[in-house]
Amino acid sequence: MNTELRIEKVSKSFPGVKALNEVNLTMKGGSVHALLGENGAGKSTLIKIITGVYRADSGVLKTNGEEKFFNSPVEATDAGIAVVHQERNLIPEFSVEENITLHHPPTKFGIVDRAERTRLARQALETLGFDIDLNERVKNLSVAQMQLVEIAKALVTNAQIILLDEPTASITSGETIKLFDVIKRLKESGTAVLFVSHKLEEVYEICDTVTVLRDGESILESKPLSEYKQGEIVDAMVGRHLADRKVELRKVNRSVEPVMQLTDIHTALGHEKISMSLYPGEVLGMYGLVGAGRSELARSVLGLHGISSGELKLNGQVVEIKSLRDALHKHRIGYVTENRKEEGLFLDFPVRKNISVTILSKILKKLGVISFQEEDSVSTKYVDRLGIKVVDNNQLAGTLSGGNQQKVSVSKWLAADTKILIIDEPTVGVDVRTKASFHELIVELANEGLSIILISSDLAEMISLADRILVMRDYQLVGDLDNSKDYTTMSRGIMTAIHSA
Amino acid sequence: MSPLTRIRRIVGDQRVVLTLLTVGLFLYFGMKNSAFFSTDFVIYPLLRDGAVLTVIGLAQLCALSIGHLNLAVGRMAAVAALAAGASYQYWHLALIPGLLIGLVTGALLGAITGWMIVKSQVNAFIVTLAMDFALLGFVTFIYVTFTGATAAFTTKPAGMEYWRNTSLHQYCIAGHCGPRVFPMMLVPAIIALILVGFMYAKTRMGRELLATGSNLRAAKLSGIPVDRRVIMAHTLSGLLAALAGVMLAFTNGSFTASIGSQFMLPSFLGPVLGGTLLVGGAVQVLGTFIGTMLTLVIRQGLSVQGIGLETLNIALGLVLLTALSLGQIQKMFTSIRMRGRT
Repeated sequence: MNTELRIEKVSKSFPGVKALNEVNLTMKGGSVHALLGENGAGKSTLIKIITGVYRADSGVLKTNGEEKFFNSPVEATDAGIAVVHQERNLIPEFSVEENITLHHPPTKFGIVDRAERTRLARQALETLGFDIDLNERVKNLSVAQMQLVEIAKALVTNAQIILLDEPTASITSGETIKLFDVIKRLKESGTAVLFVSHKLEEVYEICDTVTVLRDGESILESKPLSEYKQGEIVDAMVGRHLADRKVELRKVNRSVEPVMQLTDIHTALGHEKISMSLYPGEVLGMYGLVGAGRSELARSVLGLHGISSGELKLNGQVVEIKSLRDALHKHRIGYVTENRKEEGLFLDFPVRKNISVTILSKILKKLGVISFQEEDSVSTKYVDRLGIKVVDNNQLAGTLSGGNQQKVSVSKWLAADTKILIIDEPTVGVDVRTKASFHELIVELANEGLSIILISSDLAEMISLADRILVMRDYQLVGDLDNSKDYTTMSRGIMTAIHSA
Repeated sequence: MSPLTRIRRIVGDQRVVLTLLTVGLFLYFGMKNSAFFSTDFVIYPLLRDGAVLTVIGLAQLCALSIGHLNLAVGRMAAVAALAAGASYQYWHLALIPGLLIGLVTGALLGAITGWMIVKSQVNAFIVTLAMDFALLGFVTFIYVTFTGATAAFTTKPAGMEYWRNTSLHQYCIAGHCGPRVFPMMLVPAIIALILVGFMYAKTRMGRELLATGSNLRAAKLSGIPVDRRVIMAHTLSGLLAALAGVMLAFTNGSFTASIGSQFMLPSFLGPVLGGTLLVGGAVQVLGTFIGTMLTLVIRQGLSVQGIGLETLNIALGLVLLTALSLGQIQKMFTSIRMRGRT
C-alpha cells in the first residue's frame, strides 16, 4: 500500500491565539510536498501536531489510513514518521554517532552494539555524502554540520514519512544540492517528504505539491505546484490584507546629527566593517536570514559581548558602552530581546514588577525602599497606554498571551525613558491582530521621537515599518536600501542583496 | 473583596496551613503525653532551638532567593563562632564586639564564596560544597592547635548566661511580666526575620535579588548588576549563618568545632516547608520560622513519645516530601484557575 499522511480539519489554539484553523493537507509516498507560509503562519505548529508534540483541539490525522493522533514524538517515530526540526534536537555532549542512532540504538542482548551503530551512522552519512568524524561531540560541530547530523538522524530510522522543517536555512548551497539528491532518492523509493522552506527557488526545484498556510488557515491545499506561478504563491502566503493596508512613508530628517553612528565596527563574534547611522525618530530596519548576526551585533554594541575595533558615536560623542546597565542608565538605550520568555520577562513576577525593573532607582523612598505607589502608577500608565490586556497589574506575566507579554517587555524600556530602542523580532509567535497593534505602536513611538532599530526576519513587517532597511549576511552589511514600502520592488531588492554579494 | 475570596485566599496560604498543622501537632503530642506541655523542659528549649534554626534557615533562604544553594552554611557558622570564641578567649572582648567579629567573619566568607561563584562560573552547589570541606578542615585544625584536647574555647563573656537562660519573664511593665516560655534567644531571631523580610518585600536590593533568581538573563538584560547581586546574596547568607553559629555557641555555653554540623538539613527544611522556591525568585520569610517550628515540634514530639533517632529522621524526611508535593498540588490548582480565567 502506498504511504499516505492525511490531515483533515485540524485546529489548534493557544491562549489568546488561534494557531491553526481547520487545516487540510495530504501528502503521498513518492512525492515531495511543500508547506509554505510566512513566519507565524502555523507551519511549525502543524508539524508538531503531526509528530505528537502538541495535541490538536479538533480534526483528524490519518497515517496510511489509520485514524490516530500521536501522543508523543516516540509514538510518531514508531509509526514511521521522522522529523528534522527547525530548532535542532541534538544532544550536544553526545557523539555524532550516538546522536544519529539516538531513537533506536542497535542492541545485542540489551547492550548497545557499537559496531552496528557505527555502520548505521556511517551509512546514513554516506547517503548524504558528508564526511564528519563519527566520534566528534556534536557541540564541537558547526551549525551546518549539526543540521546534517539532524538529517542523518531522520534517515537512519527508515521512516516512510519525513518532515523537513527549513532544512536548508543554515547550510551552504553545495550542501543543499547534496541534500536535494538525497530527497530525490527518498522520493523514488516511495517515501513521502514534507519540505518547509522560505526559499521559493528551492521549492520549485524539488517539490511536487504545495500547501500554503496563512494566519493558521490553509489557503492552498495540496495543489500541484506546477500549476502556480511564483507570484501566485507569494500572494497566497502574504494575502491581500497586507497589500490593502495603508502604509505611509514617514519623513525622517537625515541632515541632523545621527543619534547613533557605527564606523567600521568589528566584533569578537565575527562582524566586519559594520558602518551605519540611526537618525532621530527613525525606524531603521535590519533584515537578514536567521544566523546573519543581527542580534549579535545589537548585543555587542550594547556591551554584552563588546566590540573589538571601530568607533561608536552617540549624538556625535565617541563612547564606550561597557554593559547593558551602562547602555540603559548612562545612554538611555533599551533592548527588547527576541526571546521574551527566556530573557525578557520574569514570568513568575506580576506585570507591575516586570515594568518597574528598569526604574527601581528612580522610584525609591528613603533607605532603598521602593515606593509601591509610584510603581503602581507607572505600570498602570503603560498597561493603559499599550493596551495590555490584564485583570490588574498584579497578574503574573507568565499568564499573559504572547503579544501582551511582548508589550510588557517593551513597557519596561519606555518607562525608563529610553531615547534609542533596539527591538529584536518583536512579533514572532504573535497573532495577526496583536501584530497589527504592535506595528502601530512602533510607528507611534517613532513619531514621538524615539529612534528605533528594528530587527526582523519577517519581510512584510520589515517593509511596512522601516524607513530604511539594512541587509545583513554572514556578519556583514550587504545592503542599505531606502524603503519605498512597495512590497514587490523592496522584497526583490532585499533578496538580491542577500543572494548576490 | 468578597468574604468568600478572602476565606479562600487565607486557606490557600501555605503559611496558614503550616501554622494550623504546627499547632495541631503540638496539641496532639501534648494530649498523648502531658510532659510535652512542660514550659521549662520542652517549650522553652524548643523555642530556643527554633530561634537558632530559623536564623540558619534565613541564611539558606538568601542563597535560595537567587536560585543558589549554600551547602556551607553549617561550616560558615562554625568559623564565625570560632572567631567570636577566640576573641573572647584571647582578647577578652565584651559580648557585643565579639559577636560583631563573628558576624564580619561570616559575611566575609559568604562574600568570598559569592565572588568565587561569579568569577569561576562554577555552580554554587559545587563551590559551597568545596567551601564546606575546606572550612571543616580549617576549624578542626585551629581548635586542636590552640586548645589541644579541650577542642573548645570556654571563656564566657559577661551576659552570655543571660542570653541562654532567661526569658521575657524578667521584663515587667506595671505588674505584667513577659511570658516565661519566651527565650531571650528569640529576640535576635525576630530582628533577623524583620530585617530580612523587610528587605525582600520592600527594598530595591530585595527586588533585584529576586529578579536575579527569577530569571538571571532577563535581570542582566534589564540592567541589574547580577554579579554583584550574587555576591550580595552569599554575603547575607554568610552573615546570617554567622549569627546562627554564635547563637548556638551561646546556647551550648562553649565554642566548639561541632557547631553547625547539624545545620544543613534544617537550613533547607524551614524555608522549603515555608514556601520558598528552590529555583529562586520567591521567598517566604515568615514561612521559614513556621516551617522550622513545625519540624521541631515533630522532632521533639516524637522523641517525647520515646521514638528512636532513626524513626525520627524517617518521619522528618516524609514530612518534607509531603509538604513539597502539597505545594505542587496547590500550584496545579492555581494554574487550572488561571487557565479558566483567560
